[in-house]
Amino acid sequence: MIVAQRKDFEQIKAAAADFRKVLVVGCGTCVAVCLTGGEKEAGILAAQLDLASQIKGEEKSFAVACVERQCDLEFLDELAETVLDHDALLSLACGAGIQLLAERYPRVPVLAGVDTTFIGINRDVGLWEERCRACRSCLLTTTGGICPVSLCPKGMLNGPCGGTRQGKCETDPERDCAWSLIYERLAGLDRLENLSAIVAPRDHGARGQPGRQVHPAYLRRYSAHE
Amino acid sequence: MSKFEQALADKDFVLTVELDPPRGVALAPLLELAGRLAPRVDALVVSDNRGAMPRLSALAAATRLAAQGAEVVLTLTCRDMNRLALTSQMLAAGAAGIGNLLLVSGDYVSLGDHPGAKPVYDLDSVQALGLAVTLASGRDLAGQELDGAPSFCLGAAVAAQSDPLPPQLIKLKKKAQAGARFIVTQPLNGLEELQGFCRQTATLGVKVLAGLEVADPGQRQGVVGLLREIRGSGLVAGAHLSMPAAQDDLPALLDACGL
Repeated sequence: MIVAQRKDFEQIKAAAADFRKVLVVGCGTCVAVCLTGGEKEAGILAAQLDLASQIKGEEKSFAVACVERQCDLEFLDELAETVLDHDALLSLACGAGIQLLAERYPRVPVLAGVDTTFIGINRDVGLWEERCRACRSCLLTTTGGICPVSLCPKGMLNGPCGGTRQGKCETDPERDCAWSLIYERLAGLDRLENLSAIVAPRDHGARGQPGRQVHPAYLRRYSAHE
Repeated sequence: MSKFEQALADKDFVLTVELDPPRGVALAPLLELAGRLAPRVDALVVSDNRGAMPRLSALAAATRLAAQGAEVVLTLTCRDMNRLALTSQMLAAGAAGIGNLLLVSGDYVSLGDHPGAKPVYDLDSVQALGLAVTLASGRDLAGQELDGAPSFCLGAAVAAQSDPLPPQLIKLKKKAQAGARFIVTQPLNGLEELQGFCRQTATLGVKVLAGLEVADPGQRQGVVGLLREIRGSGLVAGAHLSMPAAQDDLPALLDACGL
């Protein structure tokens, strides 16, 4: 899932200062799971903004809407009528969702209410951990299911740097060294030979930015029309 | 073959010292210090933004030192340069007559004084060694022929006291396969850190230089004693001395060591 954290309230308030009728748009998928931008959090933020504006004696309104997935046009259409009645959209979706919302409603300013942090796992209620950098060259088969690209700050592909101390990372004594974990896992599986070959530099060119992925069925469907 | 590589082959015990370029443009004191140190050691190792703290370019400093006749090992860190920049630096080093490279990953940016910088790590140290070998073969990483190929004696770093050690050794083996001829250990605290390490690295075909650092200039006696012990042990091919807080005192350290 995509993990995000809400921006500082003062920052959000400042971004919304120029607008009188703001629609806070939550997203019901990843950011709802990470308790950042779902319907409940959108409601709380709208109430906070409303209170802050009332204290200043401003005449503003902060309404709430929440769609199933802001990264999917299908779900954004349902906002069409509501959007007409507002002069800014304050999105609590991840960066992808915010952008699609902006693309769908080009005449209305879109404000970001969260900072997207990473692709991660739900470790516990209230605890998320990064696990993937979407690098497009997954090494998990050879590294025992432990990712050196996302878990090693240096993204080392051929083994640990010299900064490991008691199995911890030089950047943070609380953080496990990814390569210590990989070693232990493969040693336990008796598959250390996975690490013997030199891994070549990653092909960042193949990555292509911005990314685009097309399903073969999509090509079959549309190639006749192109 | 560089003079340093020759020394590694011929001498029982080689000695290198680490020099930081200035944090500014005043190169004269470094050149003067290097002039006094060069005749007393086998090579001057020029550090590259050591500790993730920017200084005058290691390549620029190393080029000046080489021009005044010093045998230089140029450190290049993967933290600050992608494969294009590393290629240019290696070619420039070759053109300047710098025949030795020490290729390291580099301390993470958050350990230095510019913690918000974007870390690069396009290549790791194993891959950087591979790049240097490729350039020495007359081609770049894209396979294009070079107009003049450099020639290098290549080195890498290792944490001999790393815990756990086996993953470090797996990578060290790759460094040796990738072309490293010498290995500099991170600063050691005692001879015992070398003993287990050297037993396991004896078959790799790399020369190990024991890293010794005087962190506090008032405490140099410990390093003097440790150097004597290490030299006497016959475990390693040489030593690499550094005094990051007071490199101007390196000649006095050599005096104290009787070197």
